[in-house]
Amino acid sequence: MTFPFPSEEWTHAYKDAVNANERYRVAGKEWTFGPVAFVVSKDPSKGLEDDAGMILDVEGGQCRGTTFVHGLAAVESAPFIIVAPYERWKEVINGSVDPIQGMMQGKLKLTKGHLPTMLRFVESSRQLVVSASKVPTKFVDEA
Amino acid sequence: MSGLRSVELAPGADQNGFAVMISELVKQNVIDHPEKARDLARLRGRVAIVVEDARVAITLDCRGAGVDVHNGIVGIPDLTIRASSDEITRMSLIELLPRVGLPDPRGPVTREIAKASREGKIRVFGALANAPTMLRLTRLLSVN
Repeated sequence: MTFPFPSEEWTHAYKDAVNANERYRVAGKEWTFGPVAFVVSKDPSKGLEDDAGMILDVEGGQCRGTTFVHGLAAVESAPFIIVAPYERWKEVINGSVDPIQGMMQGKLKLTKGHLPTMLRFVESSRQLVVSASKVPTKFVDEA
Repeated sequence: MSGLRSVELAPGADQNGFAVMISELVKQNVIDHPEKARDLARLRGRVAIVVEDARVAITLDCRGAGVDVHNGIVGIPDLTIRASSDEITRMSLIELLPRVGLPDPRGPVTREIAKASREGKIRVFGALANAPTMLRLTRLLSVN
């Protein structure tokens, strides 16, 4: 079974993938800084008429819940927000872009959040991405 | 002095994610650790940082009153740091000794950085001639 990305089903499957990732459990153990939101910028050519947000309620090395939302306003309450176009997220999920390199290259943008805290949890961020790559994904622009 | 007004992105640097990150990191570190404003005020010279695996580079033009962050290598750097994205990120986590602000030789990250330098994974050109700049930059970039 595959889950369309981005979607509510994919976001829920992502929660399970994060919680199954032992390395994330260790790297994120000290994380107490609130939810992290990943936003896929709207792209009508991919059928994304609005920004799509996936909010991960992460705490102490676990993902307690996820929420799939539409529109940037819906993720504003998250203390950390990372935004990228659909194609960039696709590369990240496929493992062809390292999240830290991606941020340095401007492919992923931290639009909200305390950067020093993110840097302290680089491995945790990387493991969130590794978890995303474990979700059986059907990309909306692929047949 | 205000550290917040003194770190600026040069025209075009807003398209360089690393330039944006370094600019934000320095600003936030000065807010979190006001004593770092003194380092910012005393930092002088041109520092190039090349992230080899990400294929991005920036130049910090340090004018004493502040820092302009440029996209790419601009002018002739006094100090050049070349390393991978992992090592550059790790450098921001270097432990500092309280009060003196020198890298803590007992800190695990400091030791990893020293090892990476010995192994050539981090290469710094011009450090001996610009030791005060290197030290101030290390303090400014460290989140500790």
